[in-house]
Amino acid sequence: MSNTTQSTNQAEASQQPQQQKPPVLEEDDEFEDFPVEDWPQEEAEQANGNNGHLWEESWDDDDAGEDFSKQLKEELKKVEASKQ
Amino acid sequence: MASSSVLDRFLSSLADFVKTRDGPKLQDFLQIEPPLPPIYTQMVDELRQRYPADDPQSDAALLRRCEALVSGPRSKGGSGGSGASTWTAFPTFVKLYFTFLRDVNLENLLETYNLLKALVNQCVLALGDSQMGVIVLPTVLYLSKVLAKLAMGLDRRPELIAHLLRLEGGSEENVEKVTLVEKSANVVREAFIKCLTDRSGTPGVHGKPEGKRLGIYLMANLCLKLLFQCGKLRNAEQMFASISAQSPPLTYFPASQRVTYLYYLGRYLFSNNLFFPAQIALQAAYDQCHRQALKQRHLILTYLIPCNIIMGRFPSRQLLERPEAQGLANHFVPVCRLVARGDYIAFRQHLAGDSPATEWLARKGVLLPLRNRCEILVWRSLARKVFIHGGFHGDPAPQASRGPPPFLYLHKLEAAVRWLQSQHSASPFKPLSMNAKPGNQPSHSKYGSQIICKPADPDFAGLITNASPALPTPPAETAEDPFSKYADYLCPEGYFDAQGTYRANAPGTLVDGRLDTDYTSLELNPYPDRPDQGGETQESSPMMDEIESILASLLTQALMRGYLTHRNPRFAIPGARLKGALPTGFPPVWSTIYARERDDALVPGWVQVPSPESAAARANPFAAAVAGGRVVNLSGARPAGAQ
Repeated sequence: MSNTTQSTNQAEASQQPQQQKPPVLEEDDEFEDFPVEDWPQEEAEQANGNNGHLWEESWDDDDAGEDFSKQLKEELKKVEASKQ
Repeated sequence: MASSSVLDRFLSSLADFVKTRDGPKLQDFLQIEPPLPPIYTQMVDELRQRYPADDPQSDAALLRRCEALVSGPRSKGGSGGSGASTWTAFPTFVKLYFTFLRDVNLENLLETYNLLKALVNQCVLALGDSQMGVIVLPTVLYLSKVLAKLAMGLDRRPELIAHLLRLEGGSEENVEKVTLVEKSANVVREAFIKCLTDRSGTPGVHGKPEGKRLGIYLMANLCLKLLFQCGKLRNAEQMFASISAQSPPLTYFPASQRVTYLYYLGRYLFSNNLFFPAQIALQAAYDQCHRQALKQRHLILTYLIPCNIIMGRFPSRQLLERPEAQGLANHFVPVCRLVARGDYIAFRQHLAGDSPATEWLARKGVLLPLRNRCEILVWRSLARKVFIHGGFHGDPAPQASRGPPPFLYLHKLEAAVRWLQSQHSASPFKPLSMNAKPGNQPSHSKYGSQIICKPADPDFAGLITNASPALPTPPAETAEDPFSKYADYLCPEGYFDAQGTYRANAPGTLVDGRLDTDYTSLELNPYPDRPDQGGETQESSPMMDEIESILASLLTQALMRGYLTHRNPRFAIPGARLKGALPTGFPPVWSTIYARERDDALVPGWVQVPSPESAAARANPFAAAVAGGRVVNLSGARPAGAQ
């Protein structure tokens, strides 16, 4: 239902010439058909054998010199001081 | 002369293809998409001449010609030919093909769509024949693709048929409108079912793709494309369940079909919050995708990356530097940085509705999962940093075997939250920190979340400030109160008398006289039992309640390890002597989730080659995976009054 309202709106809006842009963006969203039907697994792998490290599993940010950590540290010190 | 006409030659070729069961050739002849080769124009001219649309006899005569295609001498008397002569759906389809060519008017794309849909429908009926149906499989696929292309094209350029839809529209306000894309998906789904339920050869998971089953994933992929386009993902669930139950293993199908299917399956699982199986499907799609198919690889990564981020695995620089990842770093790296930083307000602001960063994420459909699922990871980072800088890390002396375990006083986390709030109250993003007063002491209302401050809904504006002092209503005041408070009800500007006539009312006059009602007992107080927690002396505060809830959620999900004490609130990390407090209390997110999920590596909707031990588990993998608990949403941790 909302689709129809939307399409009417778009229809009116698209009378303006600059409305060519959204369809182009949308086309990027489409998973296109492959030009070939089948291929061996070798053709799926990176040419330079570069299949290694895709994901970072440890990303904890332990850089105490980084601004946010520094400020947080200062702030916690203040809390400590005020308790005593 | 008639025998040498294009139409006659065309029909006799079709008859040959049926006899030789040559599906690809048949499809090749049944061209439909303009621009058609000149010979087709010639044939259309002949059709218009010999079987004109305005002659009521034409269609019947044309159908008789087409019936000859399946009742030739060979198929009548030949071996097993009795099936052919009952294949009535095929001549009807071919007749429709001719009338389509003859009548189609590309000026009216809505009519074109409807004619084409009827043609595909009829072709799908022809596909249903158990002996002969497979011959039209390539044709069904070809026509379905043309139909899908037209429907999706019109979906993107609705102005092309808006005027026609308006004419058609009329008084169907109450009828749920089914878009052309969805209608097309329904047609294609019928073809998919015909392919999946083909009983020839060995059906089911132990069979090989043969006969119509060759088309299972071709039709499924097309149907999924349409369902994703029209946003009716729920309609795909039955498809995946049927595939799980009846399809041969996916691995027996060509790479293009496998990759496309795993992409859609992964996206479907992702949108159902089944992140772990979604990750498996999308990673497999990525790994099997041709390395030169950059556009497809880009789209797969668009979903594979957020899926991994949600489970605590960030894309490596190496991955983001690949050509297919172009542009993705801009969208995802800031999110990863904010998760690691632990500033939950900055995280919320980055993914807020009015933030420029969200437009692309929202269009791709990954904004809400990222926003809802990653916040708990932000809290883990914040708690971790506060522990690093403000926690007790245990006795460093190697001999100290009896000291208390490492712990963190939660009031330090509370202080960090207040500090974050004060930091952001100074920033131009006001909305999240409305209640923060200048200086480092944000003053909060007693109601709603203390962690997240949002501007009051205009409808309720002023409610909190009025209600707060009025809550402990002194009984002495009640006698006068009702008249000022409920004046609009007790002394309205006018009323209807017993005869139904409207009467104006003098200001301040009680319409119903003085009533003996005790208005204090009717007072609407949404928080009647909430104890007053404002006192400085009390240990617990509404904000501490929230912080405890959030940490409890982290502990429940094993994203943090240890326990909480409620009196003198602390987070303690026992058993940290060996590995150290930080790795024990804050294990890496991905390894935690992976350890929990890896035993359940079945991906619902992905049929694997059966192994003896998996036979039992395969009984209903779809229901099993849906029922399994996955990442728990933070929203459960918010107290009831949260805004």
